[in-house]
Amino acid sequence: MSLRHRIVFLVALTFVAIAAIGGYSVIQSRKNASNVKTVTEGVVPSALASADLVALLKEVQLATMTLASAPDQTLAEEAREKLAAQKTQLKDGLDLQFKQATGQAQQGLIEQTRESLDNYFAAIDEMAQLKLAGQTDLAQAVLFASVAQYKREMEQVIDTLRIEKNRSKDEAITALNENLAGAVSALSMATVLAIVALGAAGTLLYRQIVRPVGTMQSLMTEIATSQDFTRRLPVERMDEIGQSTVAFNAMIEKIQESSEQLKQKTTDIQTMLQNIPQGILTIADGNKVHPEYSAYLETIFETRDIAGRDMMALVFADTNLGADALAQVEAAAGACIGEDCMNFEFNQHLLAGEVEKRMPDGRVKILDLNWSPITNDADTIVRLMLCVRDVTELRKLAAEANEKKQELEIIGEILAVSQEKFHDFIAGALKFIDENELILHQYPEQDAQAIAQLFRNMHTIKGNARTYGLQHLTNLVHEAEQTYDELRGAHPDIAWDQGLLLEELAGVRDAVERYARINEVSLGRKGPGRRGSVERYLMVDKEQIQQTIHRLETVNTGNLHELVAARDAVRKTLRLLGTEPLGKALAGILASLPSLAKELGKRPPMIRIEDHGYVLRNQISGVIKNVFMHLLRNSLDHGLESKEERLAQGKSKAGLIDLEMNVADGQLQIRLSDDGRGLALARIRKTAIQKGLIRADEHLGDEDIARLIFRPGFSTAEKVSEISGRGVGMDAVQDFVKREHGKIEIRFLDNAIGADFRRFETVVLLPESSALYVEGRETLYVYDLREMAKEAEASEADVAGSPVAGKPQLRVV
Amino acid sequence: MAQVLVVDDSSTVRNEVCDFLKANGLTVVPAVDGKDGLDKLKANSSIKLVVSDVNMPNMDGLTMAEKIRGELKNSSVNIIMLTTENSPAMKERGKAAGIKGWIVKPFNGAAVIGSLKKLIA
Repeated sequence: MSLRHRIVFLVALTFVAIAAIGGYSVIQSRKNASNVKTVTEGVVPSALASADLVALLKEVQLATMTLASAPDQTLAEEAREKLAAQKTQLKDGLDLQFKQATGQAQQGLIEQTRESLDNYFAAIDEMAQLKLAGQTDLAQAVLFASVAQYKREMEQVIDTLRIEKNRSKDEAITALNENLAGAVSALSMATVLAIVALGAAGTLLYRQIVRPVGTMQSLMTEIATSQDFTRRLPVERMDEIGQSTVAFNAMIEKIQESSEQLKQKTTDIQTMLQNIPQGILTIADGNKVHPEYSAYLETIFETRDIAGRDMMALVFADTNLGADALAQVEAAAGACIGEDCMNFEFNQHLLAGEVEKRMPDGRVKILDLNWSPITNDADTIVRLMLCVRDVTELRKLAAEANEKKQELEIIGEILAVSQEKFHDFIAGALKFIDENELILHQYPEQDAQAIAQLFRNMHTIKGNARTYGLQHLTNLVHEAEQTYDELRGAHPDIAWDQGLLLEELAGVRDAVERYARINEVSLGRKGPGRRGSVERYLMVDKEQIQQTIHRLETVNTGNLHELVAARDAVRKTLRLLGTEPLGKALAGILASLPSLAKELGKRPPMIRIEDHGYVLRNQISGVIKNVFMHLLRNSLDHGLESKEERLAQGKSKAGLIDLEMNVADGQLQIRLSDDGRGLALARIRKTAIQKGLIRADEHLGDEDIARLIFRPGFSTAEKVSEISGRGVGMDAVQDFVKREHGKIEIRFLDNAIGADFRRFETVVLLPESSALYVEGRETLYVYDLREMAKEAEASEADVAGSPVAGKPQLRVV
Repeated sequence: MAQVLVVDDSSTVRNEVCDFLKANGLTVVPAVDGKDGLDKLKANSSIKLVVSDVNMPNMDGLTMAEKIRGELKNSSVNIIMLTTENSPAMKERGKAAGIKGWIVKPFNGAAVIGSLKKLIA
């Protein structure tokens, strides 16, 4: 039962009790009123009337006496009439009494009285007749005899009636009094009972409400003070208090949840502060560092003494900021904290963004400082947050990237100049620089002639540098030339300072030497070079260099990852200088194959080149060209069959030559195989016997026979010199390879031991250093030489460049 | 049209600030010290913003600010202080005088113009 129901019940009970008591009182009072009415209107007047009867009787007696002693007839008559009236009165009185009689006893008494009355008046009548008859004495006698007797009798009866009536009256009044008293006590009793019952119910209800509410209150207070949100109030009932308890528990659960979330968040923030590789601190009033800061800050500042320190001392001591800048930072920070957030906008620009801080051991760290305000709801800055990043490494990388960029630009500039001319330029420039240095040493004071000479020399260097498009050098030389030009003037703004001039000259020398060094080291173009070799170097992909430079120019120097990526890209480009892909190295040869095929009456073959990401160093590509020109021609000439022959054997019309370059067992391996008829072992053996290289009866394994083709003077082609034979056989090919510390092998690809023809591959092995692995460059190119030849005819373009100059077209498998 | 009262005893700073604000389309009223500033503010109800130096002869900036709030009973005008330093005591006094902000010198117009314009908008 809910509390509401209980209270309603109690109130209803109260109403019922009051209504019952009221109703009872109404009934009682009604009853009492009728009782009173009976008493006052019935019993009492009846008793009084009975007393009147006595008085009336006395009057009758008096009248009788009067009659009896009346002196004359008239008076007697009067008295007699009076008596008659009184008789009637008495009779009426008796009738009334009869009516009002209570009980048979009274009625009997009244009957008796009536009888007595009749007798009494009969005697009086007798006496009256005697009197009227004049017999006064007789009348007197009757009066004293019978009348008096009946009168006494009458008196007695009436008196008895009066007494009876009085008794009945007294009885009625007593009964009335008793009734009234009873009603009062009953009402009192009922009232007391109602009070007791209601009091008990009220108390019970009070205890049922107040006690649990009190318990709840004290438990709530306990939870509130202890902050132990794991506690719950016991739910022992399902009334309003029980429901409140459930609601309270739900609230506590919510609080527990949020307090746990808060705890989790705090822990997260703590963890973050502990682990974030960035220095984060907040600055409170008075420029003091708040005790909660990121652990990495200790790494950056190399101290554990951070909490509560003065921010200026912690962050800015031993930095490159001057006293005024420091004062500005301090004032700006002070002007923000505790003030409206607009103050941050006012003074933000004064908060240093980058400082160089000298550590106790002399190392200098470059720190990137990022300030932000922490505001409250009223937009007041409560603290300043400072993120400190150690960007020393980043700046170094940026500088390195810039250096590389310049280097690339310089390479681009150098590549545009032929090796010979460049060599001459460097030699000439250094000669002029030497000359200037000598002049400067000779003249500690200003000298017009000396300046003229200095200027002329520098002007020449600049002119040459500009002619060759060596932009970086031109700029630097221009500055030196400007200095001399200024000194040459009538009113120079600068003074002759031997030291400074020498320093400037040294800068020019460094720049020229840098160009020379890049030319020698990065490009490998030491010395004046030979005519022709220049062409080799022009094959460096300038576009790629331009792209790399662009990449460096657009790199976000604030982002470490981008910087690293850019640096790697530049590195890759620089590494790739002086290398070329196999396909590119063989481009010219591939281009020559279709016409050869035509001569041989064969279809131009398909060429597959798989380089597994390796590129050839330029030093080796000449050898590779020589070797593979021969091997490819051999393959086309001896290996691949004519179209008809191939079709008859169920092969495709065009032959397929496979080239695969890879590194294995510390060696660069370039393998060539084709889908032609295979190695003609029987014919080789025959030729060898004919040429006297082996005896006819000599027993040789397939490998031994194959190896015969490398013997000097061996050539299987019937018509020497036309196709494969340019006076160069496989022995010469082997020599080329050996000169580069490599070797060449024939490996069989089938198990047809002793057969006339066997499938095989030619493997050229070279030192691993002949190639360079470039990550992410693995490609498989397929060149359809027939298509290429057609296109070449159609456009009359030089096929040599097209498939390899970055556009290995056709089908890429 | 809202006007700006620029109070600084240094003509260099005063002119610099005035010129900058004028160049940014604001109408300026220059004053040479706190007393002058107070008089000009009294006579001109269009002034909605006061940019004032702190240390000045006759009457310093903070006293002027206090008098603006006290004597002139002008609580609507925004007051910004130009300063080279700040101490807790100074900031406390400024807060009591209803000073909106502190611009640390040197005055860098570009950095503050946005916020200043908001104050007279």
